[in-house]
Amino acid sequence: MIRLAIVDSDSGFVRVLCKRLEAMSWDHRVLAAPPPVEELVAIRLNAMVVDPAVLGPHAWEFLERVGAALPAMGLVVCTGRSTVAQRVRGLRLGADDWITKPCHPEEVVARVEAVVRRRRRASTPADVGPLVAGELEIRADQFQAFVGSQSAELTRREFELLHLLAEGRGQVLQREEVYQRVWGYQMARGDRSVDVFVRKVRSKLKALSPEWNYIHTHFGIGYRFQPETSDGEPADVTAPGADVPGPVPDAAPADSRPADGEPGAVYEGAVHELGARLASSA
Amino acid sequence: MSVLRRQAPLDSGLLGLFEEAASNAERAAVLLREMLAGFPERSELARDVLLCEQEGDRITHDVMQRMSSNGTRPGIEAGDVHALAGAIDDIVDHAEEAADFLGLYGIEAPMEQAEELSEVLVGATGGVTRALDALRTGDDLASRLVAIHQLENEGDRVSRDAIAALFAGHIDPMVVIRWKDIFESLEEAVDACETAAHVIEGIDLKRRR
Repeated sequence: MIRLAIVDSDSGFVRVLCKRLEAMSWDHRVLAAPPPVEELVAIRLNAMVVDPAVLGPHAWEFLERVGAALPAMGLVVCTGRSTVAQRVRGLRLGADDWITKPCHPEEVVARVEAVVRRRRRASTPADVGPLVAGELEIRADQFQAFVGSQSAELTRREFELLHLLAEGRGQVLQREEVYQRVWGYQMARGDRSVDVFVRKVRSKLKALSPEWNYIHTHFGIGYRFQPETSDGEPADVTAPGADVPGPVPDAAPADSRPADGEPGAVYEGAVHELGARLASSA
Repeated sequence: MSVLRRQAPLDSGLLGLFEEAASNAERAAVLLREMLAGFPERSELARDVLLCEQEGDRITHDVMQRMSSNGTRPGIEAGDVHALAGAIDDIVDHAEEAADFLGLYGIEAPMEQAEELSEVLVGATGGVTRALDALRTGDDLASRLVAIHQLENEGDRVSRDAIAALFAGHIDPMVVIRWKDIFESLEEAVDACETAAHVIEGIDLKRRR
């Protein structure tokens, strides 16, 4: 499923496009104004269709900032008549494709799919090397962590949390930031999701690697990933490289997406359902 | 010259059923608080809260049976008996609803405000138990009722704050929908404690006239 944002104020175009996206079960949002780039990072989009006319005089700067902050997100400009110079400038600043209105929604969908496909090819998880921390090996290509050949049996969300913290390499990450990056939304005040998931991850890691502590709490702030032996001896987090063959897991999950009935599955289904509802009311 | 009316004594058996119902509501609140504090690991406690809800229904049924079959005068107006039984039953129903929603909505983790509300609910249900005790013994009832009203105000404050937190910024709309329902159930449970307090106050006033 593709997560798409549409930044456009052309109600007719948006309505027709959304109808098509609903039929394809895409998770999509319509934004009447450009959101701050930090928020776009949080909602983990695969692609964005944007009309620079909505962005106002700072359209080019916005496209440039989005392109720089979200290199993995596809950016498709869909706008009225434009000059060759404008199209060249947009494409050079970070747009992946340029469509001129009036256009058929099917063409927009196909172009978004093509852009997302190209992005995915360019950054397949297999290209991402494992992170090694203490006894732990965190493998993004398998959405899993291992100690030797034993899998920690992390769910997708637990893995994403661990991976995010591990990538921080000793840096304290605030709860709110962790929530935004893993859940894709702003954290509601009082929400204890991050604490609960850290507890779950810790428990699974402890079962496999009892002599090590990996995630440290910074009260009132958040969490820090730093492998330490029970004596308090720290170890580095290293990325030996993508070419290093990893362990062969005993029971590597064929599909790391949450199974039906898992909270993650409920969440993903709910997001999709809501996206469709939001779009129909737009 | 005032006309003195003799009040029929309170039916001890009936009062005992109300005390049993209040104690059951307090137990449901304590279980819900434990469930939220240890969620999701303690989510199995929803089953125990459901048993409390069923027990509450049984007690309410017994109260109604006693009213319809007892030859002696209960010492409480039938309308008040019905209202008090209903209010105490509502406490457990709403607590059970909140516990059920946690599982039904696939909640991943609790919210601090929900834990606070469950704490308020434990206090308010305890207040109802103490108010019934005062009704039986003739001890100071007013201070116990005031304590319930204060807890209800606290519940309102926490609940409003919780709902405001859901609408601040770009919160996942599904989180908003799910938690709004749960906060409302918790608040209604606390409100039902205040309703029970009002009925107890009414019973006491009528007996003093």
